[in-house]
Amino acid sequence: MRVVVVVAHPDPDSFNHAIASTATASLAKAGHQVSLLDLYGEGFRVQMSNAEWRAYHSDRPLLDPMAERHAEIVKQAEALIFVYPTWWSTMPAILKGWLERVMVPGVGFVLDEKHRVRRGLTQVRRIVGISTYGSPRLYVRAIHDNGRRTLLRALRLNTAVLTHRSWMGLYKVDSCTAAKRAAFLKRVERKMQSL
Amino acid sequence: MKVYVVYCHPDADSFTAAIRRRTIEAFEASGQEVRISDLYAEDFEPAMTMQEEANHLAPKHQPEIVGYCDSLRWCDTLVFIYPTWWSAQPAMMTGWLDRVFVRGVAWDLPEGATRITARLTNVRRLVIITSHGSSKLINLAEGETGRRVIGRAVRVLCHRFARTTWLAMYNLDRSSQSEREAFLDRVEQRIRRLSSPPQEISAGRKW
Repeated sequence: MRVVVVVAHPDPDSFNHAIASTATASLAKAGHQVSLLDLYGEGFRVQMSNAEWRAYHSDRPLLDPMAERHAEIVKQAEALIFVYPTWWSTMPAILKGWLERVMVPGVGFVLDEKHRVRRGLTQVRRIVGISTYGSPRLYVRAIHDNGRRTLLRALRLNTAVLTHRSWMGLYKVDSCTAAKRAAFLKRVERKMQSL
Repeated sequence: MKVYVVYCHPDADSFTAAIRRRTIEAFEASGQEVRISDLYAEDFEPAMTMQEEANHLAPKHQPEIVGYCDSLRWCDTLVFIYPTWWSAQPAMMTGWLDRVFVRGVAWDLPEGATRITARLTNVRRLVIITSHGSSKLINLAEGETGRRVIGRAVRVLCHRFARTTWLAMYNLDRSSQSEREAFLDRVEQRIRRLSSPPQEISAGRKW
């Protein structure tokens, strides 16, 4: 399977990056074709520019070469894996900006002749989200896990009808022991091998 | 009322810009003090840096966010105006929340505590004004995450009895001129009603 791993954390030595490299290594070991997109590492621009906004509904909405390259990779993907820390109940701005600037009409979705949104990522059959949270699980569920909603609902509406979606969360990460983190990485490894 | 408007749209000729004009006019017409941050025009940098992330428990406030922090502590009404993209705020506004809601401004962590405490207790009303390209049904299926980010995650940092006002335009991509005008009128009426002092309302009652 062709898999894309998207990671959004400013610190390359962070636990989120450890998750991403564990995931990438286990996927490669299981025989999948993996592309890793490190948004901070590549210096991906967060905000949609005015020119991009004006070109959004044109024939060529992708103006930035980096966004265009990412779009080419996403068009080939059969599984999308997101790794990010949850901030203010949602994903970091850079990942939200990636959705806005890469998942443009013709990539993330298509517009029919009545200007209605139709599925664009029909080759994607799996979405996996992996996130770290400062809060305990119960609190996250009560306040609403908005990053999870965006990926497993809004993005999910644009992928194949029978897309399988799954979520892995490491809660209370600030006070989490090294053993718990190691156990979480093991879980990630198992998950990726059975993808 | 002290009103702080956070506005986010890349284009000055957009419908969101029209919403902003009507909102500010309505607040000012009723004599409220208004401050506004136009994130695109001010060239706000939305990516949280590695240093900021590493020091989030003992933040050294970057000079470019001090003004925003000051307005946040000053206001009693916090207004967000933005287009809904992928069911939530534009990344620019998400990044504004990531970087400006720092310790000592939006929240605190007292010695020995395991949970953060709210610090934006000066904010008694949140107003969200947004537009959606697609229908309400699609947005409900998508989970309306933008509404939840402000109505819940930001709301818990405000005053305990802070109220939320939600004004949303749906189906913008297929709307007619008159529908858009009607929405702007609705925004204006709602803002005027929010700004009218409470004694005016009680004066109308006969008992």
